[in-house]
Amino acid sequence: MDMTAGLGFKTEHLEEALTSRAAGLWFEVHAENYMVEGGPRLKALEALRDRHPISLHGVGLSIASVQPPAPEHLARLKALADRIQPTVISDHLAWQRWEGGHHADFLPFPRTEAALDIVVGNVDRVQAALNGPLLIENPSLYADLPGHEMGEADFLTALARRTGCGLLIDVNNIFVSASNLGFKAEAQIDAFAGEMVGEIHLAGHSKDSDPASPLLIDSHDAAVSDAVWALYRRLIARIGPRPTLIERDDQIPAFDVLMAERDIAESILTAGGGSYEYI
Amino acid sequence: MNISEPAAFQQAFAHALADDAAAIAMFADPAMARALAVHRNTSAKAAQDALAANFPVLRTLVGEDSFEGCAKVFVEIYPPRDPRLCLYGEGLAAFIAGYGPFSQAPYLTEVAALERLVTEALFAADAEPLDGAGFARALDLDLALPLHPAVRFTTVASPAASIWFAHQPGAPPDALERLAWGEEALLVSRPGMAVQVAIIDSSALVFLKACQSGATVTGAALAAAALGADVSALVATLITAGAFRAGLD
Repeated sequence: MDMTAGLGFKTEHLEEALTSRAAGLWFEVHAENYMVEGGPRLKALEALRDRHPISLHGVGLSIASVQPPAPEHLARLKALADRIQPTVISDHLAWQRWEGGHHADFLPFPRTEAALDIVVGNVDRVQAALNGPLLIENPSLYADLPGHEMGEADFLTALARRTGCGLLIDVNNIFVSASNLGFKAEAQIDAFAGEMVGEIHLAGHSKDSDPASPLLIDSHDAAVSDAVWALYRRLIARIGPRPTLIERDDQIPAFDVLMAERDIAESILTAGGGSYEYI
Repeated sequence: MNISEPAAFQQAFAHALADDAAAIAMFADPAMARALAVHRNTSAKAAQDALAANFPVLRTLVGEDSFEGCAKVFVEIYPPRDPRLCLYGEGLAAFIAGYGPFSQAPYLTEVAALERLVTEALFAADAEPLDGAGFARALDLDLALPLHPAVRFTTVASPAASIWFAHQPGAPPDALERLAWGEEALLVSRPGMAVQVAIIDSSALVFLKACQSGATVTGAALAAAALGADVSALVATLITAGAFRAGLD
């Protein structure tokens, strides 16, 4: 089935999501919200899966953690994937676990050769457990860490080459990171090999409260900015259409409002006449 | 120590996020300090938002600001240990019992405990509920009635269930004024696919406890009848509430 532009699924939009017949529409959910034993939420996702392609987007694999992924978490993700049969499964180039605690955020790390070995090992473990490929997403960055040995694009490219994983390019995260760290977003957008890119994320961001030199925050609480749309057009023009998600996790508007934003991505994806199919 | 080494970095960063002064000193650069603040704020906000989603009645009762103050302290002391934030807040009711600003209102602890039972019921395993026909067909008085996995029941010293009802959609506007202050026994279940809360009488509570401990239908019925219950009506009510799992036969 062709997937063009999709939406992050919100349970309050279930009826509209089930009845929408928009061409190429698909939905993404945070896998952890459905890694439960049973109940209406899983039933709703199964109903949605019967109408539209579903992507499981993890926020808790902690793929860059020095600890390997938690076995019980991996088992729950596998059970959910078996039940829902998602078109794609993804998570972030970041870590959350430390000594039994879980930081509900995407924490950074120095991109060293040693870190690459660790992430490769973790992605290999997850892909073996899932018996399929992951897509790994670039997170938003808020400061340039000491000790980087390689850039983010080189790190992700090496990761994809060594593990066979694909990349989920979050254009808003590139814009946010570029603004916060002072690099050229266009150069980063141009740095990823098209054949590695399996999905694209678009979202809104906000500014923190320091008016002198505001940091951009990946807040998912606003419409996609014009600058991010421009970067997205640039990426699609170079690599061709890819399944693209509009993410909104806070200040959630009506379904129609999200669909209107999703339709912009749809029109950009289909302007070239192509569509992309997962293989 | 080489701070770029993966384990050393993650240890230092995690400790700095937890406000460890020695670890914060390792990230003294102003840009790093701001980034740490963003990450600290993002993960705390996610955990606090999860509590707000999982305890909506408590939040309404105490008000947004008081809830946020309570959630902030709880998240600092008991940060999430599981990425499934939809299940976060297991210890909140017990925490509230000792949380100063709420200590004059012990019913808040019981409302929080009820909301936790609702969360547990919402995500409990699926199972076919026993219906009346199934009960009649498979009835063997010497067997136990297995409870549905979503079933929870308890007794509270305050009218926590009535308070909870008063905050559900469609509740009468004067529901809180009409509260009868006293003990309540309550049943949380998931008939069909929606979680429901019901106030039950003491004989129903005794019947459910007997079923939970593996008593036979006869044993549970005798225990409830000893309290003067009309057992057939009681069983019919519990079956309608989805209290039992099918599969007696």
